This record gives sequence, C-alpha cells and structure tokens, in this order.
Amino acid sequence: MPITTNSFAMGEMLAVLLSRDMADGEKAIVGTNSDIQVAACNLARQRQAPHLWWVSGPGGMTNPTEGIVRPAADAENIAVAEAVMDLPQMIDFIDWQVHFFDFAILGALQTDRFGNINTVCVGDHAKPRLRGPGTVGISALCGLSRRFYIMMTRHDRGAFVPKVDFVCGAGFLDGGTSRSDFGLSEGGPRLVVTPLGVFDFEPASKAMRIKSLHDGVTLDEVRDNTGFDLVVPAKIERTANPDDEELFLLRRTVDSTGVLARKFPWPKAH
Amino acid sequence: MPASNKSASKKLVDLDTALSVVKDGMTLGIGGWIFHGQPMALVRGLIRKGVRDLTLVPSPGSVAPDMLIGAGCVKTTACVFISFEHLGLAPNFRRAAQSGAVKVLEMDGPGIAGGLRAGACDLPYGLIPDLGTDLPKVNPEGYRKARIQEGGRPLLEVPAIKPDVVFLHGQQADEEGNVQYFGAGYFDLLMAQAAKHVICSVDRIVPSSTVRHDARLTKIPSAFVDAIVVAPFGAHPGGSPGLYAQDEQHLKAYVAASRDQAAFDAYLTDHVQGGEDGYRDRIGAKALAGLTSGGAP
Repeated sequence: MPITTNSFAMGEMLAVLLSRDMADGEKAIVGTNSDIQVAACNLARQRQAPHLWWVSGPGGMTNPTEGIVRPAADAENIAVAEAVMDLPQMIDFIDWQVHFFDFAILGALQTDRFGNINTVCVGDHAKPRLRGPGTVGISALCGLSRRFYIMMTRHDRGAFVPKVDFVCGAGFLDGGTSRSDFGLSEGGPRLVVTPLGVFDFEPASKAMRIKSLHDGVTLDEVRDNTGFDLVVPAKIERTANPDDEELFLLRRTVDSTGVLARKFPWPKAH
Repeated sequence: MPASNKSASKKLVDLDTALSVVKDGMTLGIGGWIFHGQPMALVRGLIRKGVRDLTLVPSPGSVAPDMLIGAGCVKTTACVFISFEHLGLAPNFRRAAQSGAVKVLEMDGPGIAGGLRAGACDLPYGLIPDLGTDLPKVNPEGYRKARIQEGGRPLLEVPAIKPDVVFLHGQQADEEGNVQYFGAGYFDLLMAQAAKHVICSVDRIVPSSTVRHDARLTKIPSAFVDAIVVAPFGAHPGGSPGLYAQDEQHLKAYVAASRDQAAFDAYLTDHVQGGEDGYRDRIGAKALAGLTSGGAP
C-alpha cells in the first residue's frame, strides 16, 4: 500500500493525477457517478486548462462550476452551467461522431493487459458470477474519443486480469495494431491511474507498462496485485504527490465540501 | 390497446385506469436516469396489477427495473445500465441475471439511442458504429453486421425499438398533458417518440398558466402523451429533480430487503400492496418532507 498520511485522500490523489494530463481547450465528457472525474476536470480548469470544456453525459450541462462536487446528472448543475443540452441531441457526438471528445475517464470492474474494460459481468455472460451494471456510453467513448483514461479505485488481481471477461470498451483489443486493424479510429487508453501507481502502454505491443509508482509502493507489491505481467521500464519513476497548490485549489475551489475525502479514502492495508 | 388518446383532452386519469392498457408480454420502456425520475408509482401500480412476462427497455436506471424484476413481472430485460451507484449493484436484477431467471439483452448507449431513433422515425433499424465490443456476440439479434463500403467504417444494424408502453415521470403537468421537467430530460422524449403509448406520472398537476409561465420546462409536449397520472412523491425512493432528493435511507433498506426473495416479497407486501396512499403513510410525512428540504443527501 502507498505510504498514506492524513494529508490527502485517495480520491483527491486520483483527481490530481488525472487533472495534470488535461490540456487547455480540450473537450471532455463526464458520466454518471463520476465525482473524481468532475473534480479532475474542474481542477484542470483552475490551473493549466481554463478553457477545458466538459459536458455531463446524462444531464447535458456544460462546465458546471460552483466549488461543490455534485453528481453529474443532478438538476442543481443547471444553475451553474454555461449551457444545457438535451441527450437526444447529444447522442450524435457521443455515440456516432469520431474524435469529438478529446478524452473520457472511465472506471471498470475489470481491465486487462491491453486496456480493454469491462463493466458487464465477471464470468460467463450467460451465467455470470457477478452481474455488473452494463455498458452505457463506455463502448462509444472508448471507441470514438481521441484517448481515454482508466481510473480504478482498487488495484488487485480481481480487477487487473489477463483478459477481461467481457469487452464493453475497446482498449487496444489484442495489442499491437489490432485496434486499428479492426477499423477503430486512432485512440485507446492513455493512462491507468490506481491506488498503487500510474500506468501507460508500451508503444509497439500496446501492453500495459508501469509509468510511476506511488510513494511507498514496491514493484513486488504491484506485481502481486496484477493478474498479468506488466511491462517494467528500466527506471521506475515515483509519482509526484499532490502539491500544496493543487490541494489548496482542489479543496477551496473545486471540492469545498470534501466529497472526495469522504467517499474515496485510501483502501485499508490487508 | 385502445386507439390513441393523444388528441383527446381527457388525459388526466387515475393510476389504475392509466395502467389498464398494460398487458402480459408487452414491451415496456422506462424513462429517467439511475435514481432520477424513476416512475415508481407506475411501477408499484403495475406490480399490484400482477402483470407478467414483460420485456423491459429501461433507460439507464435503478430501482424501477429492479423492483419489477424482483416482483416477478419480467421475462426479459434490455440492460444498457442498471445500477445502484454508490449503493452497489442492482440487487434483484443481479440475482435474476446470475440465476438466469431473467433473460438479459445486453445493450449499450449507441444501441438504445440508435434503436429508439429508428423506432421514432419508423425505420426498420438504425446504423451505429461497430466499436469492437462483445455485445454482438451475446446479443446477435440486437447487433447485426451491416454491409459497408470498401475501407469504410465498420457498422452495425440495431433493430428499431418501439415499446408498447413507456413510463415516464415529470415534476408537473397541466390537464392537457404538457409535462414539465425541472432537471434534465435524459432519453424521455425520445422514448415517448418511439413508443406506441405514453404514460407520465407527475408529482403535481398545475394550471395551464403555470406551464405557459416557462414553456422551456415542457420537455414532453402533450402530443406525445396519452395519460397523465398525478402521483405525489411518485418517483420515491428515487428523486424528482428540483422537488425532492433520493431517499438514501430507504434505498439502503431496499437493498437490505433484497438479500433474498422471501425478504423482498415481504418488502413488496409492506410497501407496494397497500397502494400509493398506504405507501406514503408507510414512508411517513416527516421523512418525505425531509427530502424536499434541499439539504445535502
């Protein structure tokens, strides 16, 4: 487990890590049940990306900003939004148009070596061991965005599997050129952020690779908690913790009521 | 199914009259989004009526499809997304899917969007991008490979969705059937366009002058509505955007009562069989008033 202090919660760290990778002027979408995603986008807007544009997938509110992390579908976002769109119009650019969104941030029950994601079921679909919630917009956002992020609030062998039991969002499929061979537009997962580290994908094989490990996390610990062989670079970086400025802005201007700290504490050590 | 009631002015009917059109084996669309605008009074009424063998086509939902499944009303359900979010997986849906008691037609956002749009436009099917998922493998009738031009984007055909009946919940309506939403409309209008018969519950009925005061709130104009049912707290235990929050305490009790069929049957006896007046009595005025106070859930 990471060396956890009381100085920031897991949810705050994941939001900070995601926000750092966003660029000014990009377009993003945030789905339902997405507190960390909302915070990450609004934090980026407070820092390096003031013109980042994000829209609530279900609710249609654009850039709702009030210093409180609310569920993205909630009506309260309307009063603090720049526009409110209707879903039957938005589906054109959510479900059909290629590369409208620069990125989406998606959680999953399982992810695999090539960054495919699964929220449908664990085990055989006809008789699953665990029935998940379903696909909703994940298929489209993985297939059509310029890139996507995989955000996992747990990192263990149940969640990091050699091959997902159901592909509901295409990552790099079977690796190599298989994604583009299938006919999908350029894209795929860029980073995976977890309680243990940050991961990217080796450019040729498209296999998941360690990018950085959080403070106090060892290589053995990550290997023990990952159900496939990660690509290990010659030098493993240490994840930069959220700094004082990031935490100050996050807590004062984005999540002033402390939703992330309350809902996403660090997992307890086994 | 009676002839369309869409042009008549007597759309305001009681719950049982509105539900008289729903028969065993029909396809039922459900609007709302997760815990928002779940048409629960209509769902509870349908359970009391004892309808069986429904095919559900829910918008991403929670307690509405879950309760119908737990009450044994459902033979098949489409699943775009059925979730209790921070409260976990939908308990009765999960149990029925894992045991095979209910057939699950796996779908995604493009599948339901393309299918409803085709239904609304009287087209046989919609065309959506093939996104490389396993959906066509487990739902081959719902996702068929489309013929494409050489070098073109891979595409799938999704059959039109035309529900026999759709249940929606809005916050207020006038007697003509103009339904106003204080929050987002989600897929509700598209569902209404695709459906053969549309039943909307609303928390309150208001004069036409109130509707005209802000016509921008009217998401479902009367031409798309067959029946309006006044159902105060009709989205409970979900929330009705702008009027009351979802009832976290009750939803937790619902999840606990869904641990097995016997416990859930007891929940249904206690909460559903007594009618809507009995339901509000059971939840209690104090609890219901608390949900309208605007405090943090």
